[in-house]
Amino acid sequence: MIIKHQEKIASPEVIQSRYEDLGYICSHSVATSIYLACHLQKPILIEGPPGVGKTELAKVTAAYLNAPLIRMQCYEGLDESKALYEWKYGKQLLYTQVLKEQLGDVLRGARGLDESIARLHDFGDIFYSQDFLEPRPLLQALQSQEGAVLLIDEIDKADQEFEAFLLELLSDYQVSIPEIGTVKAVSTPIVMLTSNNTRELGDALKRRCLHLYIPFPDAALESRILATQVEGLDAQLREQIVALIGKLRDMPLKKSPAVSETIDWARALLLLNVEELDPHWVKETLNLLLKFQDDIELVEPEIKALLKDLR
Amino acid sequence: MRFVANFIVALREAGLPVSPAESLDALKAIKLLGLENRETCKSVLALTLVKRQVDQAIYEELFDLYFASVNKAKETGEETKKKAENDASLEAQNDVGDNKNSIQSPDSSEADKSDTEQVNVSSELGRALSQEKDMSLAIIQAAAAEKLSSIVLFTQKNYFAYKIMQRLGDDALSAEIRGKGNSLEQENSLEQRNSLEQKNSLEQKNSPEQKRKQRKLIKSRARLLDQVKDYVEQQYMIYAQHKGLKYREEYLQQAKLSQLDRLDFKLMQSLVQRAARKLASQHSRRRLTRKRGQLDVRKTIAANAAFDGALFHTRWKATRIERPKIVAICDVSGSVSSIARFLLLFLYSLQDVMPKVRSFVFASDMIEVTELFKHEGIELALEDIMKRWGGLSTNYAKALEDFQSQALASIDKKTTVIMLGDARNNQGDGRVDIWEKVFRKSKRVLWLNPEHRNSWDSGDSIMSEYSPWCGSVEPCRNLKDIERFFSRLLKYS
Repeated sequence: MIIKHQEKIASPEVIQSRYEDLGYICSHSVATSIYLACHLQKPILIEGPPGVGKTELAKVTAAYLNAPLIRMQCYEGLDESKALYEWKYGKQLLYTQVLKEQLGDVLRGARGLDESIARLHDFGDIFYSQDFLEPRPLLQALQSQEGAVLLIDEIDKADQEFEAFLLELLSDYQVSIPEIGTVKAVSTPIVMLTSNNTRELGDALKRRCLHLYIPFPDAALESRILATQVEGLDAQLREQIVALIGKLRDMPLKKSPAVSETIDWARALLLLNVEELDPHWVKETLNLLLKFQDDIELVEPEIKALLKDLR
Repeated sequence: MRFVANFIVALREAGLPVSPAESLDALKAIKLLGLENRETCKSVLALTLVKRQVDQAIYEELFDLYFASVNKAKETGEETKKKAENDASLEAQNDVGDNKNSIQSPDSSEADKSDTEQVNVSSELGRALSQEKDMSLAIIQAAAAEKLSSIVLFTQKNYFAYKIMQRLGDDALSAEIRGKGNSLEQENSLEQRNSLEQKNSLEQKNSPEQKRKQRKLIKSRARLLDQVKDYVEQQYMIYAQHKGLKYREEYLQQAKLSQLDRLDFKLMQSLVQRAARKLASQHSRRRLTRKRGQLDVRKTIAANAAFDGALFHTRWKATRIERPKIVAICDVSGSVSSIARFLLLFLYSLQDVMPKVRSFVFASDMIEVTELFKHEGIELALEDIMKRWGGLSTNYAKALEDFQSQALASIDKKTTVIMLGDARNNQGDGRVDIWEKVFRKSKRVLWLNPEHRNSWDSGDSIMSEYSPWCGSVEPCRNLKDIERFFSRLLKYS
């Protein structure tokens, strides 16, 4: 992709600080991966628990580079007609009607079958051509004139065939459409794939990508994230929140609270004018943090002990 | 570049699947960002080389180990360079680790500064040591020449230490240490230049000093040996620590299952599950496409657009669904029990692709254990079964009669029957007729025999009576056999 402002990707440090201005606090390795993706023109495969900002990273990158974000959500049964291209059947049918009417003109005066067929060949066939091609996200990304950020979200939800189908796109930035031929990228898009690791991805796919693992942030990073995302939050309360979340993540929960849940919770506490974490409010708002009843039941009796440790 | 390349070798030895394409990526990325900043370097290499979550820990450990040693080497390299620059230009060319090139001149210049006694130290290494040069660079070079990175087992550590010492010129040094005792000198020594008389007188004069020097040499040699050993130890940690596990696993895959040590069971179970996962992921794809058995409207319209929309080609998403139904019968009496254990473990690890598995175990009575497996979890259930049934003597007739009454009716043309047993029937009647019925009713009958072909039909084994009623009879002695067997089963099911 043509990046108009090369200075924007001059070094990982630049990326890290500029992303911060955009409200996305990232670790050094995240910035490095973006830097490498831009310079080496390689897709990034982002893995990590839900809610650590995988999809957000792609959005911020698109905003940062002033490129359109083309997003494709994967699911089981996704196939190329939904991801890559589809023929415009309706128009194709109309085309055959038009063709039928013109057929008389084309064939008028032709003697014998051979000549008719020869004329038919000369007539030109646009039944399968760009005119009737309906581009889907992948093709859109390739055809985008000034490059785009292509987000292939939750690739692990798609079938293995689809994964194999992506290989050509990821390594050469081109796709093969049987009826037309190979479509090459006008301008190489920046590709980001995210995965929640519900199944192991193939080695071939991984080989073609930079592999970025985003873990839960450490306390310092999370505190900074909260500071940018939730304005007007008291510093002391913020530290308490971060510490409590850290403790919760150490507990054997079905689903540990992620960054997005921390932010939601902090916003809720702000809205409720809570100035200090106390057992009552934590109990009332616990369902914002924990999404399983089992988890809530596990944590509820512990709240007092957890809060005591914080002080 | 070489640092990175060697590091990749170390990663591969530790079991990370680093492909050449990935190494190229890593090199390109390193070129962009340089090796100077350790944190950047770490994340760059992680981004390009480590593609599995499980490998992350190994990677970090190796990175720290490896780059600690590289940094050290770099530092000492730079130090010696600086030193060399200060010294005569000849010394600059002089590679510390290279014995042959070494010349007198740096020595004489050094010797001027130092005590006179050191002029007498003749062997190269001895000289270097008495000047208290830092040997780490020399050690690293010698280690590279001896291919230390190929180290596999901890028992090799001393061997490599010895080799490195030799390359550093230990022979000459030890000879000198010994030689000084009876005051006979090597050919190359400085003294040789002097006249014999002079030398003798010198030596006589210096005799107590000689002894002191000798002691000093011995000490510094010991110190060097320690240093070499430390280095070898560290390299062993980098290259071989995980290699050892790999060797063990390779060995286990081929080891006879019946003679496995109890200690290896845990490792073995993880191996079995890994192999099963591999097979499952290979075959689950086929299952998924076959699952859809409906008219594909889109494709049908697309295919018929050319015919004016008249639909006379139908396109189906799939034609048929086929899931293998499997009945596994395992002999769990003494000799076969350990193999049965892993066969069942494998079978149940494949549940994604083979959901309909019924399993039976027998020694003399046959019982169905499908439910047991479901409720208790495979590992616990296996323990339980082995405790209760393992070690009893076999009675195929009784077992097969039980099977006839319990399960024969449910066997149909979609069923694959897997029998694991050694067909040792303690001289009794084998009730081959039941087995014939099983064969006729099922899709396929496979018999796995834990014994080698040569011992079939020897003693009380009646394998040849059953074998006409089996689709195939195969020996099944190690994990590789089991894996091969299931791979084929899934492919043709």
